[in-house]
Amino acid sequence: MTNDVLAALARAAGLEKALAQFPDDVAAAAEQALATASAFTHPVSPAAEPWPPMRVPAP
Amino acid sequence: MTEPHWLSAAEAARAFAARRLSPVELIDALLARIDALQPKLHAFIRLDAEAARAAAAEATAEIARGRIRGPLHGVPVGVKDIIDVAGLPTTCHSRLLLENVAAADAAVVARLRGAGAIVLGKLATHEFAIGGPALDLPWPPARNPWDPSRFTGGSSSGSGAAVAAGMVLGATGSDTGGSIRLPAGFCGIAGLKPTPGLVSRRGVIPLAPSLDTAGPMAWTAEDCAILLETLAGHDPADPASVAVPRLAYASGLGGSVKGLRVGVLRRFFERDAPATPEALRMMAETERLLRGLGCRVEPVNPPPLSEYNAVTRVIICAEAYALHESRLRTRLDEYSRAFRVRVLGGALLSAADYLAAQRRRSELIAASLALFERCDVLLSTPTQGPAPLLAEQRPDDGFARPFLTS
Repeated sequence: MTNDVLAALARAAGLEKALAQFPDDVAAAAEQALATASAFTHPVSPAAEPWPPMRVPAP
Repeated sequence: MTEPHWLSAAEAARAFAARRLSPVELIDALLARIDALQPKLHAFIRLDAEAARAAAAEATAEIARGRIRGPLHGVPVGVKDIIDVAGLPTTCHSRLLLENVAAADAAVVARLRGAGAIVLGKLATHEFAIGGPALDLPWPPARNPWDPSRFTGGSSSGSGAAVAAGMVLGATGSDTGGSIRLPAGFCGIAGLKPTPGLVSRRGVIPLAPSLDTAGPMAWTAEDCAILLETLAGHDPADPASVAVPRLAYASGLGGSVKGLRVGVLRRFFERDAPATPEALRMMAETERLLRGLGCRVEPVNPPPLSEYNAVTRVIICAEAYALHESRLRTRLDEYSRAFRVRVLGGALLSAADYLAAQRRRSELIAASLALFERCDVLLSTPTQGPAPLLAEQRPDDGFARPFLTS
């Protein structure tokens, strides 16, 4: 991912000020976060429940 | 007798009961030790010596009258500085919270005081319990007592250092992605991440609420068990707190482990996050020792470590960013670089990313629980090797390396 694309994504996420003040930090943060988001198996079954599972107290 | 600062909490309690030592004598010894070592180790952010001396005097008088509250009565402990102690600032090691004075004790601190433990002060941490050792914060990072040029591990860095250096006999830490287990490993002490819901998080400043737990750190497993007996308990004020029967964790410690089934997470530290030759030798020796004690030791096959790591990181990043979003927009330059690099990325994670991580988390929990069909306990190393040099810790690589404490 190019720096331009990362910068565009950061701006779209509301990080304009951070990008202006700490461009290297934003670049490192963005790169790591996006790489991590695609580094695990996203469940395909719609039945896979997010943690913690919904629980309603018994009446 | 062992020097007072090297006593375990259990040993100190026995010494108090036998009148071989008093809490006042112990506090004096620890304060002298803190005075000598703090300039080099930076384990404490704030020492509350006066209050500790007063509490020690009170404990000494009570014990002399035969009023012993329990095994922590008169035992000095430290508190990680994301956990409230009434009347003291909870700074999270950050310039953003320098004036954040706690109005009340956190639940874990109230329980410790109720058991007669003495709070010595607030211990160093990574900024808001994330981010690694940073030099751009109001206080320097804690240093490893075994070698002050080395990292303590974190984020319960001051807790690890203070226990290992004999400055306190026990400490509270918190663990979201390894923040008790990693400093316990690097500082050569015991630490326990309790089951979520067992220990109240009331008065603990959150990092990632769906992963945070508070827990004990001490020299020995016995002390961790004794501390957990005090720390654990239902708290209606914490929505995640569960009402389960209180267990006597320390009572089973002396039993035999013959027949215990030990599942070794070898793929984690041999393949996924290869440990150093030294650490591999120690793991092999540990397996040999356990077999010698009659345990059945076999490898188990969990999902890849990378799955656990990535899921944990997405959850931490997203939840931490959400908690700090408004301050990051207005006071960004007051955070450390290490915090910014680890947390700003949360702004780029989508709701779908976060939910995918929580859904995958459910699958990983099920897969992990399935391992216990063939074993009673799991065994791994918490770190890939010895504590690294502090000078080699870079703010921008913390989420790039594998970690064994997801």
